[in-house]
This record gives sequence, structure tokens and C-alpha cells, in this order.
Amino acid sequence: MVSVDKIWRKSLLKTLTLGLVLFLLSFIFDAYNQGQLALVLMLFIGVLSLTVLTGSSGQISLGQGALMAVGGYSSASVITHLGASIWTGFLVAVFVASVFGLVLGVAAARLSGPYLAGTTLVIALALPSMANRFESVLGGDVGLMIDFGMPPTWISNLIEVGYEQWQLWVSIPIALISLFFVSNLLTSRAGRSWKAVRDDEIGAAVNGIPVARTKVIVFVVSSAVAGLGGALYGLRGLVGPSVYPVSLSLTLLTAAILGGVGSISGAFIGTVIVVFLPDLVSWAISGLAVSEQVTNYLPALLTGVLLLATIILNPAGVMGTRHRSKH
Amino acid sequence: MKELIVSDLVTDYGHVRALDGISFVASSGEITTVIGANGAGKSTLLRTISGLEKAKSGTISWGDIEITNLAPEEIVRSGIAHVPEGHAVIPTFSVLENIEMGALFRRRKNSSDVKAAISEVLDLFPRLAERVKQSAGSLSGGERQMLAISRALVSRPKLLLLDEPSLGLAPLVVEQIIQTINHLCRSTGLTVLLVEQNANTALAVADHGVLLALGKVASDQSAAAMRADSALRSAYLGY
Amino acid sequence: MNTFISTLITGTATGAIYALAALGLVIVWRGAGVVNFAQMGQAMFTTYIASNLIASGNSYWLAFVVALISGSLLGMAIDLLIMRPLAHKKSSSSTKTLAATIPVIASLGILAILQALAGVFWAGEERGFPTPVNSFYFKNGTGTLPFSAFNLFVIGVVLTVLLSLSYFFTQTGVGLGMRAAALNPEVARLSGIKVSRMRTLSWAISGAAGSLAGLLITPSTNLSPNSLDLILIVAFTAAVVGGLDSPLGAVIGGLILGIGISLVTTYGSPENVFLAILFLLLAVQLIRPNGILGGKQVRRG
Repeated sequence: MVSVDKIWRKSLLKTLTLGLVLFLLSFIFDAYNQGQLALVLMLFIGVLSLTVLTGSSGQISLGQGALMAVGGYSSASVITHLGASIWTGFLVAVFVASVFGLVLGVAAARLSGPYLAGTTLVIALALPSMANRFESVLGGDVGLMIDFGMPPTWISNLIEVGYEQWQLWVSIPIALISLFFVSNLLTSRAGRSWKAVRDDEIGAAVNGIPVARTKVIVFVVSSAVAGLGGALYGLRGLVGPSVYPVSLSLTLLTAAILGGVGSISGAFIGTVIVVFLPDLVSWAISGLAVSEQVTNYLPALLTGVLLLATIILNPAGVMGTRHRSKH
Repeated sequence: MKELIVSDLVTDYGHVRALDGISFVASSGEITTVIGANGAGKSTLLRTISGLEKAKSGTISWGDIEITNLAPEEIVRSGIAHVPEGHAVIPTFSVLENIEMGALFRRRKNSSDVKAAISEVLDLFPRLAERVKQSAGSLSGGERQMLAISRALVSRPKLLLLDEPSLGLAPLVVEQIIQTINHLCRSTGLTVLLVEQNANTALAVADHGVLLALGKVASDQSAAAMRADSALRSAYLGY
Repeated sequence: MNTFISTLITGTATGAIYALAALGLVIVWRGAGVVNFAQMGQAMFTTYIASNLIASGNSYWLAFVVALISGSLLGMAIDLLIMRPLAHKKSSSSTKTLAATIPVIASLGILAILQALAGVFWAGEERGFPTPVNSFYFKNGTGTLPFSAFNLFVIGVVLTVLLSLSYFFTQTGVGLGMRAAALNPEVARLSGIKVSRMRTLSWAISGAAGSLAGLLITPSTNLSPNSLDLILIVAFTAAVVGGLDSPLGAVIGGLILGIGISLVTTYGSPENVFLAILFLLLAVQLIRPNGILGGKQVRRG
């Protein structure tokens, strides 16, 4: 038990260090890159939700963006219609997304591999059309306009805070809480029993782990994390069908795989790559006479190539730590 | 005439060493039986010969060619057919389709010969001939085993690898299948490598016996000598 | 009444196209154990090739044939360059879940690459795509008949393809070999069938079927790098409804989806289509996980 305590304290220390680095960066970066860094943190939470799901159940979801949308819409609804604060919005998002995850998990526990992948993809496509079904609450095609608001006066009296910087400041604690929660969960007893289910369902069942219930719980936790990320993501200005397209789900998956699913630091690195690659590409080819058409699609092309290369060169790494620690 | 020569064969099955330096010869036109307890490595031996498992070291040669670690689809072209354990047929295929499958690779070169081969195996097993249109899944266990053997024989092999044909079958059916194989061997010069857990049945028709124990050859002598060796029988075969 | 009949006929024609796309998915699933999410991306790519050939003055039919050939070549290339090396690698270190998941991710990567390449080569803007025969409703003296020559063309082409495929799989040696390789690779290899070659062949056939579906559906969806994404979703649902293992099921599933979507669009509202698809997909998987025609054996993956 001593070792568990040590791990816990070590991960708290790591999390706080990361927080400090990010906070310092918020003073070094210009406004644009502050926004980009905030975007990294928002997507990172979404990627973490996949880390929970794929890393500990081996299943992949192509609909994680839809769960982010659930979080975004529920938080935006209470903020817009009930005048709640963004912090209340986060709590509501986590709750509603968990309920959604429960329903989804009960259905998904019976699906596997490509069936689950395809079904979650359809969910990602179908969910935005809910926005039109309940137009008065969810704002239809346009969506709901919300934002981070301005920092409270006790902060702005103390120091001048830019809008992007404030975005980042709100995102940092939310991302760190998610990070701390997920990293401790995966190393906890629960997390280890999830992995046992992933590696060998029958073996896990023989050892007294309730397989079906475990799968549902993994889905609920993953959805809760995704919902939180989605609520944060929506604060960038708008919660609408165009903010949570299918491509968002695919971006999350790509980030998770680039870093190695199941690995938390990998999730962070993957997200950084996905967010900054377009900037990097446009910087790299800025001197060359390349048509706009090429510039527009080059990042997507590179991301696809990176994704495929990762899988081909290191398929075991796709599933993260277990295999790596073996060799 | 070709013979199968296995020397110093080592094969791992997962992380377990299944074959630990096996050497023996299956002489042409004879029935050689491989006997031994469960887990002695009998099936792995056949699977390594037919290319389904990779040998770690050692060699397998068939006549004047070395077939160690060739792909199964190449090995069957050299005249070696393998009937794996457990009545290996495709249940949704018809009886005829299962048989045709075994001759697919020869069909383009010699289609009239294939037709002849199909009717030969059907002559061998009249019970299958009556059921060519039926799906293999509807056959009895014995008929399925006959079908699996037919699938192998239709490629006109010179060496037949048979893995536990008696598994789960009634004694009378086993007798019928073994006698058919025996007859084929005596009349056409087919070389047979027969893996059996039921040593009695196997030694009764075999010319030669190889006893495996824990991945090694424990005894290699004529079947008659094995039948007479009471010490060996009580130590390894339990009767 | 005329509206109803025309809805049915249009639904059958698009359903036939969905059936083709679903069949493509089923062939690769059975033959190679992969649900190929890149299939309609491949089809989009080859439809662009056809579109460019037509734009530079070639006949529709030349473009048609070239698209089908490039569709099967693209399918083969994906198997040989990506899926086969992956299958060799993963066999060393994998759980069962992993084995089914990795090719899915790979196919998504291929989809992303094909879409980005189409964007780089041919710009992101939508273009139309011609039909070889008139796509307006037939004129009948005073009124119009509730279907077009193109509707009939589509139904005819798909029917011909389905019948030829069915003949190929049941009556020819190669077809028998492909089925054997799919159902029991070990026995197939022992029978001298080159299983990996059969896999490549299923990728080729599926690639051509997908390409054909792309050529036939694009006149009504227009052409852009993402224009066929929705067709993949519909085809996947059709395949699952029919039972991923059953080619006949895929065809029936495709027709159900085609006619169903047509009815929902005409008599309900178009935005309900996805919810209806999702509902159907979940209902089938929870009530009849093997699909209406799928085998009784435990599902793979």
C-alpha cells in the first residue's frame, strides 16, 4: 500500500509541475499561441477519454467527439438558459455525459471491434441532428453562443489578463484535474482490473471480475471525461453542430494513436502534434510557391501518413504501456 | 521411391518447446505410426512437417528435396497431404465442394485427371458418394473424417499425414477408416504417417512405430517389436 | 400515388448502390477480416479519376472502365502495402481485441490520406458528375413516368454485377478457393490454396465494387473529398443489418436502407435520416447481433 501512496504523490507532483510550466508559458507565448495551447488542453481531455476507453478496454470509439458535444451542449444550455456560471456548466457536462455514457455503454458492451467502431461513427454523425430536433433549447443549425467570459475583478485588478490568456488559465486547472484523475485511475486497482478484461475476457471472468459491468463503467468514465473536455471546448465561442463534426472524433483518435494509446504522456504529445502540425507546415512551406489548395490539405495528409506510419512501424505501441514494458 | 527424413527437429509452440530434437525416417510405402501421450508433441510434429508450424532448427527432407519451413501450400504441391486433427472440413460447403477444394491447385493444369481423382476417392468412401450435394455440416462424425481424408487424397499425395483419425469416433467406424488407409497403402504404395493416441489400433496396422514422450523420441522400432515390448507398453502406453 | 411509386423506384435504385457498397465491405470482411472504413474513400478517389478523364474529353465509358480498374488496383495496393505487413506484425503480440482494432485504425488512416490527396490534386470544391443516360423522369405524352432511364440503368448494372459475383463465388474454382480461404484458412492452405493471394483478390473485387458504387451514386451527391462518407455509413449499416458475413444479407440490407431512407426523406424529414440509421443499427445489433441472414457462429472480432 505504501507504493500506491507513493505513486499517488508522484503523480500529484508531476501534474503540478506540468501546471506550473503551462502557467509560465501563458506569459511567454503570444496571444495566438496562448489560444493554441488552450486548444491543446481542451483536445487533450478528449484524447484522455479515449486513453481511458482504448487503453483499458482495447475498444476504439470513433464517436468521442459526439460525447464532447453532449458535454458542450449540456453546459451551454444551463449557461444560456439558466444563467449558470461556466464552473456549474462543467459539473452539469460531466453529469449529463456520464448518463449518456451509461446508456451507450450498456449497448456498446455487447459490441466489439469493428462493430463498435462503426456504430460510434454513426453516433458521431447522427447526434448533431438532435440539435435540430430540439431547436428551442439547443439552437438548431446555428447553436448556442457562449464564451469564457472575463476574469473576475480580483484577478483583473491584480494583473492585466488577455482573452486568450484567460482561456488558457481556465483550461489549465480543468485539464490538470482530468489528467490527475485519469492517471490515478489507470494505476488503481479498478484500472488494473479493466486491463485484465482487455487482455483476456475469459481469464478476467474466471478471476471474479464482472466483465460486462466493467465494460459499462469504462464507458461511463470515458464519457464523463469527454463531456468535461467538450464543455471546455465549447467555451471557445460557439456550441453547434459545426463545432463537433465527425472529423473531431477522428482527430482525437489520431492524437491518441500517435502518442500510443494507453500512455498519458503519449496522449499529450499526440495532441500537441495534431494542434501544431498545421502551423508547422505553413511555416515550413511559407517560402515556397505552393498553391493554397496544397497548403489547405497538406496538414491532413501529413497527419494521415503519421497515423499509418505509427501503426505499421509499431502496432504494439498503439496499445501502449503493457507491451512496451514487456520488451 | 521417396522417404521422409526428419532430423534433429526442434519446434516451439508458443513459449513451450513442443519438439526437442526429433529424428526418424518414414519409409516409402509403409505405415509409420507416431504414438505417445497427450502433449507429447505428436500433432506439432505433423504440423511442422506440413508447414503450419515453423521449425526452430533441424531439417525435414522428402525424397531429395528439403521442405523445412516451406509454406503449407508449397508442401502440398510436393505430394504431402495433411489431415489435421478434428475432422477438418468446411461445414457450410457441400461434400463435393470440400473434396474439390483439395484439388483446386491442380485443376487448371489437369482437369480430367482431377475428375478422375474425385471419382476415385468417392469410390473409396461410398457413403460420401451418396451425399455429394449435402452440406458437410450435416454429416456424422465418421463421415466428416472420411471427407477430411478425401479432401487430402484428392490431391494424389505420395505421403499422407493423418492426425488422430479415431478421435471421437465409434470403434467400428475407426476400424473402417484405418482399413481403408491400410488398403490404400498396400495397393498404391502411399506412404502414411499416422498419429494416434490409441496405440493399439495404430500398431495393429503399422509397419513401424515412433514413440514420443515430452517432445523427444523415446522409442523407434518396428511395430511388431513395439507390440512385443511389454516394458515399453506398461511404461508409456498403459496397457 | 405517383409520389409513392417514384419513391419506391428511386429507393430501389439507390438501395442497389448501397447493396453494392455493402457487398464490398462484406467481401473484405469475410476474405481478410477487416471492416474497411476507407472503401468509399477509395471510391471517391477513382471517381475523381473518372471525372478528370471525362473533363479532358474522353468518353464516359472509357472513364467508367478506367475507374473500375483503378479501384481494384487501389484495393490490391492497400492489401499488399499496408494490410499484409500489418497482419504479419500483429500476429507476434496481440490480444484478440487488438487484432480486430488495428486494421480499422489503419483503414481510417488510409481514408484520411486519400481524402487529403484528392484535396491536394483536385481542389476541395464540389463538382458534378455525369450520368451515361438521361436522369430525368420519362416523358409520357402528357405526363411523366415516375422513374428515369438512369434509375433503370443503375438497377440493371447492379443486378448484372450481383449475378456475376454470385456465379463467380459459387461456380468457379477461384471463387471456391476464396470462400475456403475466408472460412478456414488453415484447411485452405493445406489444400494448396494460396490464402494471402485470395485475400488480395478480395481487396481487388471489393475495390472495384466500391468504385462502381461511387460512379453510380456521385451524380446525385456531387463529388468532393468527403462526398462519399455518408455512403460508407449507410453501407456499413446495410452490411450489419444483413449480417457482416452474408453477401446476400448485404444486398437485402442495402435495399432496405435505400427504400427506407427514400421513404423517410419523402414522408418524414431529411434530418431524421441519421437518427433512423442509428436506431436501426443499434436495434439490429442488440436484437439480432448476427444480422437477418448472418450465420449462427460467434461473431469475429
